[in-house]
Amino acid sequence: MKRCWLFWLSLLVALPAWALDVAATTSSMGMLARTVGGPQVKVTELAPPDRDAHMLQAKPSMMRALRDADLVVAVGAELEVGWLPAALSGAANARVLPGRPGYFEAAAQVPLLEAGLAADRAQGDVHPAGNPHVNLDPERMAKIAQALAERFALLDAANAAAYRERAQAFARELASRAPVWRQKAAQAGGLVTHHKDALYLAQFLGVPFLGTLEPVPGVAPTASHIEALAAKLKGRKGLIAHTPYQPPAGAEKLASLTGWPVAVLPIEPPAGSDAAGYFALIDRWADALAQGGR
Amino acid sequence: MHRIPKWTLAAAGVLTASTALAADELQALREEIAQMKKTYEARIAALENRLKEAEQKAAASPVAAPASGQVGAGSSFNPQISLILDGVYFRDDKQGRSPEMYEHLDGINHSHDHAHGALERGFNLRETELVFSAAVSPHFDAAAMLTVSEHGDVELEEAYFDTRSLPYGLKVRGGKFLSGIGYLNGQHPHQWDFVDQNLPYRTLLGEHGLADTGLRLSWLPPTGNWYTLLGVELLQGKEQTFATSGLSTPTSREDGAPLAGTAAGSLSAQKAGPRLATVFAKFGPDLGANHALQFGGWAAFASQHQEVHDHTLEDPASLVHALEGKAKAWGLDAVYKYDAGGYGGQGSFKLVGEYLRLNKDLKIAFHENGALLGQKRDFTQDGIVLQGTYGLLPHWQAGLRFDATGLTRNEVKGPSGTIAEWNKSDRWTLALTRQIDHFSLFRLQFSRANLWVGGEKEKTNQLFLQYQHSLGAHGAHTF
Repeated sequence: MKRCWLFWLSLLVALPAWALDVAATTSSMGMLARTVGGPQVKVTELAPPDRDAHMLQAKPSMMRALRDADLVVAVGAELEVGWLPAALSGAANARVLPGRPGYFEAAAQVPLLEAGLAADRAQGDVHPAGNPHVNLDPERMAKIAQALAERFALLDAANAAAYRERAQAFARELASRAPVWRQKAAQAGGLVTHHKDALYLAQFLGVPFLGTLEPVPGVAPTASHIEALAAKLKGRKGLIAHTPYQPPAGAEKLASLTGWPVAVLPIEPPAGSDAAGYFALIDRWADALAQGGR
Repeated sequence: MHRIPKWTLAAAGVLTASTALAADELQALREEIAQMKKTYEARIAALENRLKEAEQKAAASPVAAPASGQVGAGSSFNPQISLILDGVYFRDDKQGRSPEMYEHLDGINHSHDHAHGALERGFNLRETELVFSAAVSPHFDAAAMLTVSEHGDVELEEAYFDTRSLPYGLKVRGGKFLSGIGYLNGQHPHQWDFVDQNLPYRTLLGEHGLADTGLRLSWLPPTGNWYTLLGVELLQGKEQTFATSGLSTPTSREDGAPLAGTAAGSLSAQKAGPRLATVFAKFGPDLGANHALQFGGWAAFASQHQEVHDHTLEDPASLVHALEGKAKAWGLDAVYKYDAGGYGGQGSFKLVGEYLRLNKDLKIAFHENGALLGQKRDFTQDGIVLQGTYGLLPHWQAGLRFDATGLTRNEVKGPSGTIAEWNKSDRWTLALTRQIDHFSLFRLQFSRANLWVGGEKEKTNQLFLQYQHSLGAHGAHTF
């Protein structure tokens, strides 16, 4: 009898406290999963926020995390094309393969900018699916959160109401902050980034997106391109931004030609962030853009 | 009498009438136009305002079009097709004889096989790789990889299916594929960090590593944060350096002379496959975002291996003989990758080390000197490759490799001790790779080798300038 008791106790200890094991590709996808999933989900982030999620390589630890996952939350639109398919294939987990309920792509839930461009690599590392960097657009993120809540509800019906409620709360919070962010950014003259990774944010804030330091996506900045860009920007005001993992040289060159300030801004919240970390990230961008107007 | 046609009169009448009319109405028309201009300008202005408003609205809330709903899942190409172009400019300090030396290194695997696409001094087009892959159904993935040589010879390097829907982390691969042994064995030439194959693989497993037809079962057991992969393969054992069978007993000599009267014995018939089995295991601790480490170990067993030795063309005094028996190989491998997070891979590095050992436990099955029949011939050779790459500058990578074959053992033993022993061949290689973008690279490679060929030591230098371009689907590479 005593043994029987121990058995049940050990089973209780062994049972996980969460209902869903989520593998998120980036920290913004991790933030979404945590915000919507609350205590019912356990989240592992595969890509560190200070790396280019497009350039990563598949690693054994990723395969390990994907092997145990009930759900993969990816950005999609080919952002993780260089490593996620290989990691998924190595993970041998049928539940999280594309096409199954256990595979979720954020970019597939919202309309994308630059979709349907010609698949011509002479134009750089172009992805015809569209620009994948939706994570910096609070409006799209609100929609994605709601779609994610539905996916959680599908996989774990017992907590469906809680998932939906959290997604709606996140959307409401974003909607209430949007006017503040837009007001701050209203002074901004324009934005130039290294890669087209803040296009959605510029559009959300109503800031003119005036170009990239890269001549075409995925190709390092060239002097002639920066000079041409500076000529185009003559007489305008704005901000030059790049992420910590992009080289500063191109931005500095353009800054010396235009007199614009340079900001080093991440496009992902810190690892393990909750919604507050995401709001802080958009705050940083809005503040930096406000600086760029003066 | 001039006859003026009636129609001219009529026309004149109309003209005079219309001029009079114009004089009257010109003013009215002008006014009307001015009026219309005014109204249209107002309407255009109103429309422009509406457009502006709409644009601002669109900028503020872009969520108007429907969601794409399309899961990219890597790529929208189906099947994913990619083509890899590869060419080298080659020079050596042996008047172009060094590639042949590499083909005939002293060791237990005499190279009888075709020297395919031997390098010439100057420009060379290397094999073009063509890769197709796609999900066949919810239950299977499939892939095929072909190479096309400069002369149009097509070779099927791999053609296999993978299961997608097995439970418990199990996966079955079937068809012709690169074996899961070792770390470098699973890589295609376009994934190599150096232009050419390393010495232990080349001499012990073959130019393309171990690839054969059969089945693989692999399993990812639930080992917490530790990555563990266990695999077993049953392969046909076809034309491998240590798993070849179905050879016929010699009935003639290559030099045309008749077989000696003392010739005796015969090779046994080919056994049914699978004749080659492998097991492998890989382990990787979770060391966080910046580090990745993986250890592996493997073994391969061939239940039937046959060799025919006929060197009568080079040495008419030699005797034709054939060997058969079993063979086994094993190896250890380790990989460490450091991701510095720098732009274009700057500061990141990768270290790879592999040790391989091959043993062929054979007996004389046929010999021109029949008295030797049944004698054992035990061949052993090992090798090592140690290589590292480092991101010197954004998109610039430096690589250093040391490889050796016949490292500690390179010998054949008979019933009464060592019959022959060969020396170790080794090499240092330096490579500088410029990754132009995601899809193209240039590589400059220099190597300096001490090769033993026919009992002679040859110091050989080789220089390569390589280009590689990949077209089509954006491939994802395994660890």
